[in-house]
Amino acid sequence: MASSSRWSMGRVLLLIGRLTLAVVFLAAAYGKLRPQNAVPWTLASLKITPASLGLSMTFFAMQVDSYQLLPARLVSPFAYALPWIELGLGIMLLTGFALRYISLASTLLLALFYAVVIRSYALHLAINCGCFGPNEKLGAWTLVRDGCLFALGVAVTIGAFIVYRRSRSTVVVT
Amino acid sequence: MTRSSRWKNEILNRHLLRAVVSVAAGVILFSCLTSHVAPVAAQTPAEWERLSAEKSLGNPNAPIKMIVYDDYECPVCGELYEQTLRPLIDDYVASGKVYLVHRDFPLTIHSYSRQAARWVNAAARIGKFEAVERAIFDNQMAWSEYGTENPKGIIKPIVQSALTPAEFKRVERLMQGCESNSQSEIKGCAVDAGIQRDLAEGQILPVRATPTIVISVRGQQYPPMTGAISWPILRQFFDKLLSQK
Repeated sequence: MASSSRWSMGRVLLLIGRLTLAVVFLAAAYGKLRPQNAVPWTLASLKITPASLGLSMTFFAMQVDSYQLLPARLVSPFAYALPWIELGLGIMLLTGFALRYISLASTLLLALFYAVVIRSYALHLAINCGCFGPNEKLGAWTLVRDGCLFALGVAVTIGAFIVYRRSRSTVVVT
Repeated sequence: MTRSSRWKNEILNRHLLRAVVSVAAGVILFSCLTSHVAPVAAQTPAEWERLSAEKSLGNPNAPIKMIVYDDYECPVCGELYEQTLRPLIDDYVASGKVYLVHRDFPLTIHSYSRQAARWVNAAARIGKFEAVERAIFDNQMAWSEYGTENPKGIIKPIVQSALTPAEFKRVERLMQGCESNSQSEIKGCAVDAGIQRDLAEGQILPVRATPTIVISVRGQQYPPMTGAISWPILRQFFDKLLSQK
């Protein structure tokens, strides 16, 4: 009984973790794809249009470039791909489809972000993070937040693998 | 006066005293908290705009306006100038696509950046901003505290090399009263007013680090970008902006 309630609690925690990660990835993707020229701010300025999309991605490319990590020829391909990868991961996490692999991929991406943020902070780069849009300065808070998100990713991945193994062994016993 | 009314008066006085002390404490606290904001110097908006125009390059009616908040001693600002702004000036500014506006934001952590800004502002007043800014950035490693040459902070010969003797004399006259390397405003240094005004503008934005870039197109302003951006990536963004109707 106690084991069964612990099991249910574990599944609930996994669900909460998975949905939290999904929201984080969806917010990050939207922050990069939405129109960036939100001054003066209007409701219409939040709407993504084909015309605004190209501008938003080239604007994000400037933020990627300010990290001084990638050669110029790789900056744009990376900046153009990242928001769509985040969107895809967010949707997949929301549905729970192939959770083990999707959570593993999400955690690897979060590990990459965390490493880049640590490097930039250590080099005292006074730049914007660009993580959820253009206005956030990269600082100690970014470091803490990205560390927490990475830890959450690890927890969700471990949880997804445990749930998979447990449900498989239950099927075998049945 | 009865005993009870005397007691009431005493209570009232005590409350009044407390209120006065609280207001005074509030005023002192407020002035302490706001004291880090540089006061806007005694310079009329028209004077500042005129000086601002002197510190700008290109056509003011260009479709794209780019404001750069710079500290002359900051190495990333030097890198941005050499790697990005120079090709931008030679290409998009020269062809009327971009109006480039320089704003001074000397950081107090740098010993000579304010002094460099004073020289550039003095040169701007005689219409020699571009030449002196270029000389200051080209020789950043010679005069800044990160450079190898000693003594540091010797900016005058660099400015002199960028001007004719007559021009330099005019600039020197404008620099009278600004001889100190002080990072704060010097009383009697006329060119400090423009720098103070730029600083105040930056604090409103707010500028958190240098270089900070603000791009606006057809009245729509993009969020400030901080750090060095390479020319091919910036050009790609400008091309995208210019292709939009």
